[in-house]
Amino acid sequence: MFSDLIFRLRALLNRGAMERELDDELRFHLERETEKYVQAGVPRPEAERRARIAFGGVDRIKEDARDARGVEWIDSLLQDLRYAWRGLRAKPGFTAAVVVTLGLGIGANAAMFGIVDRLLFRAPYGLIDQGRVHRVFVRYLWAGKEQVDNSFAYKRYEDFRRLTRSFDGIAALGERRLAIGVGQNSREMNVGAVSATLFDFYHVRPELGRFFTPAEDTTPAGATVAVLSYGFWHSQYGGATNVLGQSLHVGEQIYTIVGVAPENFGGIPDNVPPAVFVPITTFASSRSADYYQNYDWTWMEMLVRRKPEVSLAGATADLTTAFAVSWSQEFPDTRRFPTAVAARARAEATPIHMARGPGASRDSRVAKWVMGVAIIVLLVACANVANLLLARAVSRRREIALRLALGVTRGRLVRQLITESLLIAALGGATGILLAQWGGRTLRTMFLGAEGAGGVADARTLIFLTIATLAVALITGIAPALHALRGDVAGSLKAGTREGTYRRSRTRTGLLLFQGALSVVLLVGAGLFVRSLSNVRSMPLGYDVDPIVYLEANPRGVELSREQQNELADRMVAAARTVPGIENATLTVSVPFRSSEGRGPPKIPGRDSLQKLGRFTLQAGSPSYCATFGTRILAGRGISDDDRAGSPPVVVVNDAMARALWPNESAVGKQMRIGNDTLPFLTVVGVAENIRGFRLSGSEEFWYYLSSEQYKRLYGTAYLSVLVRVNGHAENYVEALRRRLQQEMPGASYVKGNTMRELLAPRQRAWRFGATMFVAFGGLALVLAAIGLYSVIAYAVAQRTHELGVRIALGAGQGDVMRMILGQGLAFALAGIAIGSLIAFWAGRWVEPLLFSQKARDPVVFAAVATVLLLVAVAAAIRPAVRAMRVDPTEALRSD
Amino acid sequence: MSDRLDLPQGTLDLLILKSLSLGAQHGWAISERIQQVSRATLQIPQGSLYPALHRLERRGWISAEWGASDNNRRAKYYELTRAGRRQLDAETEAWERLTAAVALVLRMA
Repeated sequence: MFSDLIFRLRALLNRGAMERELDDELRFHLERETEKYVQAGVPRPEAERRARIAFGGVDRIKEDARDARGVEWIDSLLQDLRYAWRGLRAKPGFTAAVVVTLGLGIGANAAMFGIVDRLLFRAPYGLIDQGRVHRVFVRYLWAGKEQVDNSFAYKRYEDFRRLTRSFDGIAALGERRLAIGVGQNSREMNVGAVSATLFDFYHVRPELGRFFTPAEDTTPAGATVAVLSYGFWHSQYGGATNVLGQSLHVGEQIYTIVGVAPENFGGIPDNVPPAVFVPITTFASSRSADYYQNYDWTWMEMLVRRKPEVSLAGATADLTTAFAVSWSQEFPDTRRFPTAVAARARAEATPIHMARGPGASRDSRVAKWVMGVAIIVLLVACANVANLLLARAVSRRREIALRLALGVTRGRLVRQLITESLLIAALGGATGILLAQWGGRTLRTMFLGAEGAGGVADARTLIFLTIATLAVALITGIAPALHALRGDVAGSLKAGTREGTYRRSRTRTGLLLFQGALSVVLLVGAGLFVRSLSNVRSMPLGYDVDPIVYLEANPRGVELSREQQNELADRMVAAARTVPGIENATLTVSVPFRSSEGRGPPKIPGRDSLQKLGRFTLQAGSPSYCATFGTRILAGRGISDDDRAGSPPVVVVNDAMARALWPNESAVGKQMRIGNDTLPFLTVVGVAENIRGFRLSGSEEFWYYLSSEQYKRLYGTAYLSVLVRVNGHAENYVEALRRRLQQEMPGASYVKGNTMRELLAPRQRAWRFGATMFVAFGGLALVLAAIGLYSVIAYAVAQRTHELGVRIALGAGQGDVMRMILGQGLAFALAGIAIGSLIAFWAGRWVEPLLFSQKARDPVVFAAVATVLLLVAVAAAIRPAVRAMRVDPTEALRSD
Repeated sequence: MSDRLDLPQGTLDLLILKSLSLGAQHGWAISERIQQVSRATLQIPQGSLYPALHRLERRGWISAEWGASDNNRRAKYYELTRAGRRQLDAETEAWERLTAAVALVLRMA
C-alpha cells in the first residue's frame, strides 16, 4: 500500500525521468532482440524489422506502461486544470463576475454557519458524551396557560437529586453579572455560580490548582473558593502561577482562588464563558438565607446526564415523577392550588443546545431562518454561475464538437467541464473565506454580542466551506456538462457559431426564473422584517428611551442601616443633578426590561380574586418621576412634592389597570391597599399612560406608582436606583454620572450605569438582526438576479444579431426592436414575481410568529417588491435593448 | 500457429514472478526465458511484458534497479521482493489447485 503510494508519487513528480527510463528500457530490449537475429545470420535491417514485429506497437505499450504506473488520471486532471485556468485567464471579466458571485454566496453561508453551528450543533468543549447530557425544562398549567420554564429554585434541584434514579450526574448552574475586584480596578463580569458536580460533566483537568469539591458546595453556605477561567487568568493576572491562594472580590463576597480552568472551558453550554466559577451554595447564601428551604427564588438552570442504559423517554418519565412529588411539597394546600396532575406538571430532558429545545429564543429562530436565506442566496449564485457557464458552453459548441470529432470521449469532456467548475468554485470558496472572515465578525458581534466574536477559521467552518464548494462545483457544472453530452457533432460543425434562428435554451430560462422567484421571496422577507423593526422602534413604550440613563449602586463591604440606605439614595439623586447637561433625576424601584417589584394584587373592599387579572408591578419615584421618564398623566395628577411621608398615602395607576379594576368608572378617588392588612389604604389621585416593561407585545401591563417618600415609610427601604434624563444622547453622560455617583459610595460599594437604549436593545435584537440580514441577502440576491438577467438578454441579443438584422432590413422600426427586447426582460420579471409571490405567500404563515405587529401577507410589501423587481429588470435589459436597436442590418447580414 | 497458446488472463504476472524467482533479470531476458522454458508454446507479444512489469513494481512485488548487462550496457534489472515471493507462492498454489480441479472435471465428465 505504502510502496504503491511512493511509486505513484515518484511517477507523478518525476514524470520526465520516468519517461526517459521507459524509453531506455524499451530501446535496450529492441537492441538485444535485434542482436539475437543478427547473430543467427539475419541481415541487420531485416533483424530490426523482425524485432519490432515481435515487440508490438511501441507507442501503445508506452501508453499501457504509463497507465500501469497509475497516474494517468492525475495527469489528465492537471491537464484539465491547466486548460481551465487558461480559459479563465483569457476572460478576466467573466471570471471575476463568477468568482465574486460565488464568493458572496459561499461567504454568506460560512458566516451564518459559524453562528448556527454554535447554536445548534457544536458540543461544548470537553463535555462528556453530549448525547446523554440534557437541560431540564418543566411544563405546567398556571392560570389556564401552559408555562414552559427552566429556572429552578435550589430546593427543586435537591428534590430532583433525591427523587430521580436515571442519572449519573445532575448539576445546577446560575449566572450573574457581578463586580470582580476592588475600587477602580473592579469590573462587572459574568460569574458562574455552579454546583461542584458540574465539573464531572466535563473531561477536563484544571490548568492550575483544582476545581472545587462537593464538600465545598454545601447548604446552607459553601466555602468561599473560586476557580478562574483561563481567559480571566490571562487578562487579569498575566497567567501568573502564584494566583493560587490569593483573594478575589466577587460581588459582595471575598473568595480564595483555588484553581484555573483550562482554555476553552466554558462550563455553561451556549453561554458566554464566565470569568470566574464559584460554588453555587456560597453565592446563593449571600443573596438569601433560606434559599435552600423554599421554592421562591427561581434563578438557576439544571443539567442532567442520563445513565447509558436509560432512554430519553425513561429520563423524562423519571423527571416528571420527581417533579410531581416536588410540586406537592411546594403546594401542600390542594384547595388553593392545583395538584401536579391537575396542572399537568411535566419535567423533560431536552437537548443541551437551548436553540433546539423548548427554550429556543426568538433570536435563534431568526438565525435559523437567516441560515436558510443564506442557502437560498447560494442557490441563486449557483444558478447565476451555471447560467453563465452554460452560455459559454453554447458559444463553445464548435470547439466541443471539434474535440468530440477528434476522438475525445464524452466522459473525458464532462470531466474537463466539471474540473472547470471545480476550479471556479475553489476560487469562489477562497473569496468566500475572506468575506466570511471580514463579515462574520460583524455578524457575530451583532448577534452574539462582542464577547462572542472570534475568528471564523475554525475546523468545522472550513469543513463546511469545503463541502459547500464541492456542492457548488457539482451544481454549476451539471448544466454545461449535460449540454455537452447532448451536443450533435455533425450539426454543430456544419452550422455557424450562430444559426439563422435563435433558439432559447429552456434550462437557461428555468434558471433565470428560479433566481427571480427566489429574489422576490427574499425581498418580501426583507420588507417584512424592516417593517417589523420599524414597528418595534416606533411602538409607544409609555416612556422616553434615548435621553434616559439608569444608574444603580451595589453596596459592598459595608452594612447599611435602613436610614443610611434611604439617605444614600437621596444623595445619589442630588449628586446626579449636579452633573452638567442633566435635566432631571428620580429614584426608582422598578426598571423596565431590567428589574421589577411586585407586591401581589391590590386589595379593594368587596372585590375578590384580583390576582386572576394578571401581574401588578409597583413603581415608586420622586415627584420628578414623570418629568424625568416622560410618562404622561392622562387624568388627575401625578406624584407631587406634597406627597411626603406624613401626608395621606396616594397612588397613581396606569390606564390598563384603571380599566381593569374600575371598568366604566373614573379611577380617581378610588381606594386600594397594597400588601398586608395593617397597611393603610391608598387613594388613587391620577391615571398614567400604559407602559411596557416586560414584553413588547401581548396584553397591556398593570403598573402603579407610589411616592418614594411614602414607599419608604410603608415598605421600608429605598432602592439605590436612579433614572436620569439628560439633554442630548444618553451614552455621552453614562460615564460622567457614574463617576460622580461613585464619589458618594461608602466602602467598596460601586455604581454601574446603562442607557435605557442598552436595556431595551436585547428585546429588539431579533428584529434588527432579521431586518439587516434579510435586506443584505435580499439585496445580494437581487443584484445576482439582475446580473443573470442582463447576461441572458445580452447574450440573446448577440446571438440574434442576424435575425434582428433581417427584421430591421424588412422594416422593423428601432422602437419595435427595443420594445421587443425590453418586453423580454419584463416578461422574465413578471414571471419571477408571480412565482416568488406565490412562494412567499405560502411561506408566510411560518414567518409570521417572528414578525412584530406585522402580517406576513402584507400587500404593501408585495407591491413594493414587485416594483423594485420590475425596475431592476428594465435596468438590466436597457443596455442590450439599445444595442439591439443599433444593429446595422448590412453588417449583420454580411458577417459569417 | 495452431500449436501456440494465448495466455489466460492474469497468468503473465505469475510467469514473470516465477522467472524472477531464480534471480534478478532484465525484461528481455525474462521474455527469452519464458519462450525457452515453454518451448515456444506460449504466445506473448514481447512488448506486453513491460506494462506488466510496471504494474508489479507498483504493487511492490518486484523492485527495479539499473545495472550493467552481460555485454556491458545499461539495463533495468527486476528482482522479487519478499512480498513478491509470498505472492508467487500463493499464486502458484492457486494455479495448481485450479488446474487440478479443471483436469479432474475434464476427466470425469
